[in-house]
Amino acid sequence: MPFIELLGKQIEVDEDGFIQDPDLWNKELAEALAPMEEVKEMTDDHWKVVMYIRDYYLRTGVAPMIRKLCKDTGFNLKQIYELFPTGPAKGACKIAGLPKPTGCV
Amino acid sequence: MSTAAARAIARKRVTFKDISRPGDEPLCWADLGDLMEVPYLGEEPLVEPTPQKFVEKYETSLDGYCCIGIPKPQTKEEEDFLVRRFLSGLEKLFSSEDSWTFQQVLRLSFDYCVKCQTCADACHAYIASGRQEIYRPTYRSEILRRIWKKYFTPEGKLLGGFVGADVEVNWRTVTRLAELGHRCTLCRRCAQRCPIGVDNAIIARELRKLFSQELGIAPVEILEKGCVQHLRVGSSTGMNPPGLKDAVEFMEDDIGDRIGKKVKIPVDKKGADILLIHNAGEFLSWPENPEAFAILFDAAGISWTLSSEPVGYDAVNYGLWNDDVELARVAVRHTQIAKKLGVKKVVIGECGHATKAYVVIADRVLAGDLSSSEIPRESCLPLLWEIIRSGAIKFDPSRNNFPVTLHDPCNMVRAMGIVQPQRLALKAIAPQFREMAPNGVFNYCCGGGSGYAIIQSFNFPQWRNKIGFRMKMRQTLEAFKNELDPEKYPFKYLCAPCSNCKGTIRDGITHYGLWDRYRLNYGGLVELMVNAMVDIDRPFIEYDDFH
Repeated sequence: MPFIELLGKQIEVDEDGFIQDPDLWNKELAEALAPMEEVKEMTDDHWKVVMYIRDYYLRTGVAPMIRKLCKDTGFNLKQIYELFPTGPAKGACKIAGLPKPTGCV
Repeated sequence: MSTAAARAIARKRVTFKDISRPGDEPLCWADLGDLMEVPYLGEEPLVEPTPQKFVEKYETSLDGYCCIGIPKPQTKEEEDFLVRRFLSGLEKLFSSEDSWTFQQVLRLSFDYCVKCQTCADACHAYIASGRQEIYRPTYRSEILRRIWKKYFTPEGKLLGGFVGADVEVNWRTVTRLAELGHRCTLCRRCAQRCPIGVDNAIIARELRKLFSQELGIAPVEILEKGCVQHLRVGSSTGMNPPGLKDAVEFMEDDIGDRIGKKVKIPVDKKGADILLIHNAGEFLSWPENPEAFAILFDAAGISWTLSSEPVGYDAVNYGLWNDDVELARVAVRHTQIAKKLGVKKVVIGECGHATKAYVVIADRVLAGDLSSSEIPRESCLPLLWEIIRSGAIKFDPSRNNFPVTLHDPCNMVRAMGIVQPQRLALKAIAPQFREMAPNGVFNYCCGGGSGYAIIQSFNFPQWRNKIGFRMKMRQTLEAFKNELDPEKYPFKYLCAPCSNCKGTIRDGITHYGLWDRYRLNYGGLVELMVNAMVDIDRPFIEYDDFH
């Protein structure tokens, strides 16, 4: 597995840049990951989505369904894409420190 | 000489012995000019060359693609390990004590192929790739045969190349063969076409088993994040039991929003008639599919339940594709859960491989009080047709007045013979239903069979989109050729009652931009059924949504 250097530390990621150990995640790491997903600055709206995804993942083991994410955060899909140009599954989940989705999804 | 002619000659030059040749140079590389032409497709994205970072680190020397990501050996010991374990695994494949599950069909296919090559024209990957030699169904089998002869027969050991025992096993042979085991979608169209029933797909499957069980080499999505995660946390998606409960609550709310009525989704209801097990990917990517099942079963008065026990809420069984041990573990868990709930039978949702794994293949590993005489195991498709046929629910087919075609999932249709229920259902509820050609048991694979739908690593998605999906795309565009105009026909539906097929079709449509260009959408069978229910006063299908 490759490593990337973030905040002076070597962080293990997969070939698509998802961090391998979700326990390493913290807010500083999220801010360092954000530019790779075309997010220039983490605003309150970005944090609202990222923290929602993060909490959901820690409780259930998976990222929330897109429809649920929209319902519970109050953003529609278009707004989510404006916040995270690479999309909810790739961009937002990666910044939230989730592993790459698996299974028949 | 024309480029096409030069390419044709280069392709022919690939020999069985090339599998062992040193170096990173791939045995072939299929570029746009090589691939099968697809009418109505127009311009398509270019074939991206293999990223150098993959070439440096991983095995890519088969065809420039990297499905598994086998690290290149760094020491002589690592090289020797690959060779030694491969040969011991091969020996075990043909030993009844070590590998009895598919022994007879493997042995007969290995011994009786007359190399007539009739199967090659049946293979969608071979045709779609522009007839690349390495994708020919017999190429991989013949290499294994020659290796077997060289290393395990007296005449091969003594006479070598004179008796066709001429493929040397070095580490490149092993890593290339591991990748080559993953260039067949196990659709078994070749076996159907073979005049004497030789099954080259089972040879590919058993080759993968050798790698998974003897060397621990398998795509991460299938083994580590697939079977292992399924058994450890409850689902190959990573979803734990609280995740399932949350998904159920969400779906109940969503049903209320969509149809304006409350429907209860029963969970862990002891003594229900039917335990329904979905592919858990449905909850995350296509929740409207399990929602539609709940609406139909509720309206038809069926006594049913989901399970919230780990493994009991995810029907997948990825061991079907490469690992007998994992296959057995999952099948046993499913059956124990059904017995504990006291249900009369188990029904698998719209998922082809899970249906075949549990309804038929599980017979090879379930015995005694877990056998099918205790709890019948069934596909959902006959039950869905029965809901229509019996008149339990009233349908208005004019609600589905748009072009619809049907994809036959290989595992349920060719491999199990479930052909009519889904067609009778579509004829009853979709006035513009038309068959694609060929269809039924002669269908072509979607291109995502045997786990390819879920392998999202390295550059393998490009193989799936460009070669795997190509034949299905051609069939689909031809089925809709008179209605491609997006203005006049703003919604077309490719019905694919299988999670893996849907994943492949979604990624394929996205890759080629077919939703934007032609308004080609896709989905399962139950969504069309609910869309036509007389008792629901609004559409269930969202005509502007592609996901």
